[in-house]
Amino acid sequence: MRDQASVLEDVRQGMIPAHIYNDDEIFALEKERVFGRAWMFLAHESEIPHAGDYVVRRVVDDSFIVSRDESGAVRAMFNMCLHRGMQVCRAEMGNASHFRCPYHGWSYKNDGRLVGLPFHGEAYGGEEGFRKKGQTLLPAPSLDTYNGLIFVSLDPAAPPLREYLGDFAFYLDFYTQQSAEGIELVGPQRWRVKANWKIGAENFAGDSYHTPHTHSSVVEIGLFREPKASKRKEGALYWAGRGGGTTYKLPPGTLDERLRYVGYPDEMIARMRATWSDAHLAMVGDDGFMVSAASAFPNLSLVHNWPKVEDTESDDVTPFISLRQWQPVSADETEVLSWFAVDRNAPQRFKELSYKAYLMCFGSTGMFEQDDVENWVSITSTAAGSMARRLRLNSRMGLLADDKPVSPPLAHFSGPGVAYVGFGEYNQRAMLRHWADALEAPPPEEGTVDLGGTS
Amino acid sequence: MTAPASRTIARCLPFGDPRHLEAHQFLVDEAALLDTQDYDTWMSLLTADIRYVMPVRVSTARGAGFDTAPGMAHFDEDHYSLSRRVARFATEHAWTEDPPSRLRHHVSNVRTFPLDHTDDEVVVESAVLLFRSRGDVREPSLISAGREDVLRRDPTRGAPSAGHWMLARRTVSVDESVLRTQNLAIFL
Ligand code: FES
Ligand SMILES: [Fe+2]
Repeated sequence: MRDQASVLEDVRQGMIPAHIYNDDEIFALEKERVFGRAWMFLAHESEIPHAGDYVVRRVVDDSFIVSRDESGAVRAMFNMCLHRGMQVCRAEMGNASHFRCPYHGWSYKNDGRLVGLPFHGEAYGGEEGFRKKGQTLLPAPSLDTYNGLIFVSLDPAAPPLREYLGDFAFYLDFYTQQSAEGIELVGPQRWRVKANWKIGAENFAGDSYHTPHTHSSVVEIGLFREPKASKRKEGALYWAGRGGGTTYKLPPGTLDERLRYVGYPDEMIARMRATWSDAHLAMVGDDGFMVSAASAFPNLSLVHNWPKVEDTESDDVTPFISLRQWQPVSADETEVLSWFAVDRNAPQRFKELSYKAYLMCFGSTGMFEQDDVENWVSITSTAAGSMARRLRLNSRMGLLADDKPVSPPLAHFSGPGVAYVGFGEYNQRAMLRHWADALEAPPPEEGTVDLGGTS
Repeated sequence: MTAPASRTIARCLPFGDPRHLEAHQFLVDEAALLDTQDYDTWMSLLTADIRYVMPVRVSTARGAGFDTAPGMAHFDEDHYSLSRRVARFATEHAWTEDPPSRLRHHVSNVRTFPLDHTDDEVVVESAVLLFRSRGDVREPSLISAGREDVLRRDPTRGAPSAGHWMLARRTVSVDESVLRTQNLAIFL
């Protein structure tokens, strides 16, 4: 890597050294300082509704079993046997009261406790030789939830999740709390793309500028009510706490009219009214802004849009919500995990149409997604060479030469944080400022866990 | 996945049966259309009530009783959504396939099964291996899948395929849980 301080300095100026999108040294540093500390999304509680349900998810290289134990508590346990390190669970999902290691047969309850140890007496001299009692699979150093979203951090000293998210939590509510019971999360579709993980996260955070061009085909085929993709520049871009996103400006009308315009049925609107704060309602009803794409640092993104999903004469559209994670594999490869989210209380028919809307737009077959990824793969491979080390990409949209904004932030915006109307790379810069801060900070303390046996 | 009892070895049509020969030709002809991205002709071979589904496969314990992600698929299409996808490729702005991928659908393991209640439909199983190469820098990708199709004879005998068969239903059982291709801007 070039001198780290100068790379981070350039990034903070909005001039992005192109090689950061494909650089093994940077990736090694990211693993330690970004993913080794940040709150990382693993699963939603609705994916493991019953005792014994589990899914297996990763934080970069670390595999975790996310389970609901017999008492109903959610656990995240490092998927490595305490004995010789075999993966205790090799399925992606299921229901189990116990996990038995395939190697020598140690077995663990679904809360992680070691309960079975073949030939404990003969081989270890029983409890006296090796205390089985109190041994558990390594729990994730920190675990916390927000609106049923389960996050872990590899940093045992991580701040509470709500504090980490800061005011971005307000915006998460639009996607994950449309009624008191919240969402069901379905999926994920998983696929690997030869693209650096940061590119997608930055794009979802604030790249409304790419929509009219990259996604013009989706508008041309009549999937949207808005004929002009350039409507995108009337939306507000906000950054708050640990995340930011894009919005669409809705046509004039009351709160109900605007939510109906997006395709929500009245019963769902009534529940949003009962669940959301005044500020949430004002952002839609008074300001006329509806959330679209968003990202929380480092690699969780969300999207909300409202295409036509049925072949009818009418203009009816159906909204969908998707949540996705850009799971880094290496400097030039990312596994995308993309879920469909829908309010648990939504009518069945709405859920079906919303699922269809999701599949048509995002995910492994999504028509938006297809063109996005083509760009990102191409950027990543081009960033690998020596010329990319000499190129600083211009990520200064919305800033004048003296760093003053092209137009001032919105004076009236009902949501928290700072918001601008029009195109600008405010959020991509904010994302990378968090990234630069993380790379600069010393790595978190790891600590070790004593398994006993020697003392 | 285990095949239902209607598709035991004993029920499989002999390879010399005219219905099998027509079904096999249908799949090979279709593969040529998909290789060349001739989607207008391809759409003319789909029934109006087409269901085109590709579930998300997941690794589960043997005996778990399921190996697909509940409620989630890669494709879960009807005629309208397929028509939108195809219409998009026909625009000048479907960047992901411009320049187009070089595609080769290798179709094999074709078996045809009759149905008791009608002579105008058959169930056809096949394997497909798609080789996809883009540009001159990237590694190519492979997608391997099993397919279970229902072919229906066009009552108007207007379909341009051998024996006037049309595709009424396809379930694509992809052989990876994590796809190693940048997107599914292709059909299987
Ligand atoms: S490695 Fe798990 S029991 Fe030995
Ligand atoms: Fe996009």
